[in-house]
Amino acid sequence: MAIKLTRLLGILSLFLISGCYPKGAEYVEELDLVYTNYDPQYDFAGKHTFAIPDSVIEITGQAFEDPDGNHKPDFLPAASAQVIVNQIRQNMTSNGWQEVPKLSNPDVILLPSVSTTVNLYYYYDWWYWGWYYPGWYPGWGWYYPGYYPPYITGYRSGSLFIQMIDHSSTATDGTIGVKWSCIINGLAEGGASSINSRVQSSIDKAFAQSPYLKH
Amino acid sequence: MLAALCMQGLFAQHHGIFIVSYPVAFPMGDLSDYINKTSFRGINMEWGKEVKDNVIAEIETGWNVFYNREPDAVYKQGSASISGVQYRYTNSVPILAGAKWVLKSHNNLVPYAGLALGTMYSDRSTDFGLYRISTDAWQFCVRPELGITFKSRNGPSLLLGAKYYAAFNSNDLDGQSFFTVNLGVVFPYGL
Repeated sequence: MAIKLTRLLGILSLFLISGCYPKGAEYVEELDLVYTNYDPQYDFAGKHTFAIPDSVIEITGQAFEDPDGNHKPDFLPAASAQVIVNQIRQNMTSNGWQEVPKLSNPDVILLPSVSTTVNLYYYYDWWYWGWYYPGWYPGWGWYYPGYYPPYITGYRSGSLFIQMIDHSSTATDGTIGVKWSCIINGLAEGGASSINSRVQSSIDKAFAQSPYLKH
Repeated sequence: MLAALCMQGLFAQHHGIFIVSYPVAFPMGDLSDYINKTSFRGINMEWGKEVKDNVIAEIETGWNVFYNREPDAVYKQGSASISGVQYRYTNSVPILAGAKWVLKSHNNLVPYAGLALGTMYSDRSTDFGLYRISTDAWQFCVRPELGITFKSRNGPSLLLGAKYYAAFNSNDLDGQSFFTVNLGVVFPYGL
């Protein structure tokens, strides 16, 4: 009887241990982050007009190489760009700012850009090549992913950057100060309507956590 | 149970006792500031041997998992703000050595008290968006306990006890202390 009880408790212990792993995020929107920062010395209350381009830059690499030779960066498709620009425009207007054309000397200019990253995870066991030279020795590893990876997965993440620059001042070294910046990061997975909805709510959140932008 | 075995003069023939228990853990101090939620995930194991009348030397280990989902909130530091949902985890593994003192009893309920010293490994992870921030630490730990066993007619006994794991500050983390209520079974072995 004691032995059977011991075995039973041993099995129950396994169940206890297996139940020790809590869940993580279940929905894609739970992985969205919104980061904002600003220059505390800047007089946001004294600025009233803004300009914003109709296009959103797509950052595709570390260096701007202009492969198509048109002297312009790559842009997000117009449909996606409109969602972003319109939501920024709506929040700025709600906060008491007035949009003016870029050549009408706006106080600030908002510059949105996006980038996406594909993160790949694969597992490859060197054992598959153990039959060939130099043989299956403990401690030897076949680290080049040669024949085929038996396990591969990945996901695409994206970031939306919004920078607010002060159009009216330039530093002595020619640099233009960024007075407010925002980074929205999350999974770039799912349908367009789902991603658009999350982008819109994240932009709203960015302005909600920036009360100094409110007039 | 233990006192009864001593009175029967049989314990000298035993190799010792093995205790497995289910702990419900309540975070304290800095751990409570980070995760203010009771843990129902864990296991505790002890191995002991009588070294004197009514004194059992023992070693203990276990695993307690603390978890909480912090809803969407804004976190500020200086001029920076960041908002999102956080998933907070702390895994605590005590590794202790100490003793239990079995108190006198004239029925099947045998109270005991114990004290152990050792180390506790704590692993703290925060999942924030697509990112995980992890810190871990080995901390010195002192663990007093009180409890009671209910001796059955043959074989194992039931145990109900309370322990307090007092972990001390380390370089990476403030002491991750917690209090547990344990329900378990005492197995004598080597009979």
